[in-house]
Amino acid sequence: MKNASILLTLLLSLPILAGVDVDLSGNVEGQFRHVKNNEEADEPPLFQDWNQENFYLLYGNINGKIEMGDSRLEANWFGRFSQSELYNPDPLFGIERDSYLATSIYTFPNKLVARDVFQLQSVDQNGNYQIESVLNKFYYEWDYEEHRFMAGRIYVNYGLGEIFNPINPFNQPTALTAISQVAQGNDGFSFTFFADDKHTIQFLLLGDKRIEGYDGQIDRTLWAHGEYQYSESIQLDYVIGEDQNRQKIGGQLSYQLEEALIFSQILYQSKNVKNEPSNDLFDILLGYDEQLTSKWHLRVEGGHQKKNNYATFTSFERFLPTEYFVAIANLYEVHPLLKVNATIINDIKSGFTYLIGKGTYNLSKNTEAELFGYVPVGTGDEAENLAQKLVTTDIGVGLRMFF
Amino acid sequence: MFKKIFSRDIVLCVALGANVNNADEWLKYAEREMRGDRSHSKMTMTIQTPNWNRTLEIESDVEGKKQALSTIQSPPKEKGIRTLRIENKMWNYFPKLKRKVAVSSSMLLASWMGSDFTNDDILKASSMAEDYNHKFGKDEGEFKVIENTAKSNSKVMWPKIVTLASKDDCLPRMYKYYDKEDKLRRTLTFSNIKNFDGHKVPAHWEMVPEENKTKKTIIDYKSLSFDVKFKPDHFSQKNLTSN
Repeated sequence: MKNASILLTLLLSLPILAGVDVDLSGNVEGQFRHVKNNEEADEPPLFQDWNQENFYLLYGNINGKIEMGDSRLEANWFGRFSQSELYNPDPLFGIERDSYLATSIYTFPNKLVARDVFQLQSVDQNGNYQIESVLNKFYYEWDYEEHRFMAGRIYVNYGLGEIFNPINPFNQPTALTAISQVAQGNDGFSFTFFADDKHTIQFLLLGDKRIEGYDGQIDRTLWAHGEYQYSESIQLDYVIGEDQNRQKIGGQLSYQLEEALIFSQILYQSKNVKNEPSNDLFDILLGYDEQLTSKWHLRVEGGHQKKNNYATFTSFERFLPTEYFVAIANLYEVHPLLKVNATIINDIKSGFTYLIGKGTYNLSKNTEAELFGYVPVGTGDEAENLAQKLVTTDIGVGLRMFF
Repeated sequence: MFKKIFSRDIVLCVALGANVNNADEWLKYAEREMRGDRSHSKMTMTIQTPNWNRTLEIESDVEGKKQALSTIQSPPKEKGIRTLRIENKMWNYFPKLKRKVAVSSSMLLASWMGSDFTNDDILKASSMAEDYNHKFGKDEGEFKVIENTAKSNSKVMWPKIVTLASKDDCLPRMYKYYDKEDKLRRTLTFSNIKNFDGHKVPAHWEMVPEENKTKKTIIDYKSLSFDVKFKPDHFSQKNLTSN
């Protein structure tokens, strides 16, 4: 991780030349969360034998940018310290164990780099705490006429889905988490062609060593994402490529009604191209978005993601939603200083329902406080997804500062 | 010819001759004076409540009536957020996450950055002359009253806006926004007329919602330059996402 710190320091300490803009910004948040375990998680095969605990989290970003004409150099360092007895379970049948699985939920997204060639990150777990440090953005960008070239660890952010966004495998939606200002980096190259204000296409060449291990070969991603404004009310996004050893094709269609937006996404993923055991996958999303009043915003998302029969359930690659889901999210401005967010998400097949409530209050120009609660309700008897039994009941408070 | 008539050296509404009885020309003159063809401005936007103020520093570029690009310079949480308007389309860009979000028609009612201005204000601010029919109402003291009624084929949020304009300089001092029930919903007042780069412009704007008069949003122009030359791709998706 020293390398990452040195890179960031170098980036920010370059001499300020004529015509060079340098910018430094960031945020830091401290969270306290009291959590209560799902009673069923105690049973085999999960063995999550704990009842109630506290979870402390401190995380932050430092973002540095240097701009020289049509070129930019940008980096973001993300650090996270979490502390809880959940990191330190007692041995089971005399065997030492890893952390309780719920810790992965509280630190979601666990991976701050989605496609990773150059590690530039460290995770240190010791006793009842964990420290993570990662340079999750570090790239050079160059604009030339109607083209843009990027190289390094880049953010790839597109797609209308806030809870489920299958057409973009390079950045996990974080709407269901209590974390903010976080995005995932991707190692590789990007080339964007701005044909006109109606059509933009981005090509990605990314690498990933996580599948094979850092000593193994690089798994490549070849990807194209296009945005085409067909008419004033219709926009089409299309994606096609090979990623994580699957061929993928899909798109997004959005249609603006007079007072609402409806959209859909479809993504098909082939079986593993290296003939490793796998099944093909198919994701679909339908969404509806409306500003009901000047203070009340409504979002509905529903969809299906075909079950990956070969995935390990502890991976948390997809925290939520599950196989079939519908989610309703409401954002209401109670006061200019206070915004309340209430989301309910339901797994249609198992009956599992998750309620999420957040209240965010602006304490000052640079500081806000958040009170949040997560409550799993309506767990059905036919729950097929073991991960649902790991979802805990939480109440917490956070203090967030920006600089 | 038009410019000559409205030469700023002799500008007085009474000097407008026959046009003084033409509400359309009156509004066009005010727009031309306040907006120009191309402008770059620095302003503060303060959201004010009895117990709390929040100030945004904004830079804004405008070309014609259909292209605008604004960038928030402070506070830190919002720094770098950009809003681009081209024709009737609008996008917000969040540089820290490299995320571009199209502002859909469903979002037009939503507040812009927590202020009393809506996305619709930002998107449609310049269309008063085009989307509304105009006629003079009964004068209110030193003000000329212009009633702006939405044209039947225009898609606007406010069916009626009443403008109070000064008889001295033709510039607006107040916009009153009425809903479908002809109920006053909010009032925008203009004051502190200043000369920016040869144009007379109200440097102080206040938007007060009727439902909560203890709250308001204040815009103060710090600088305003006209006839600025922008790069050909200044108002483009590429430039929007370049910071």
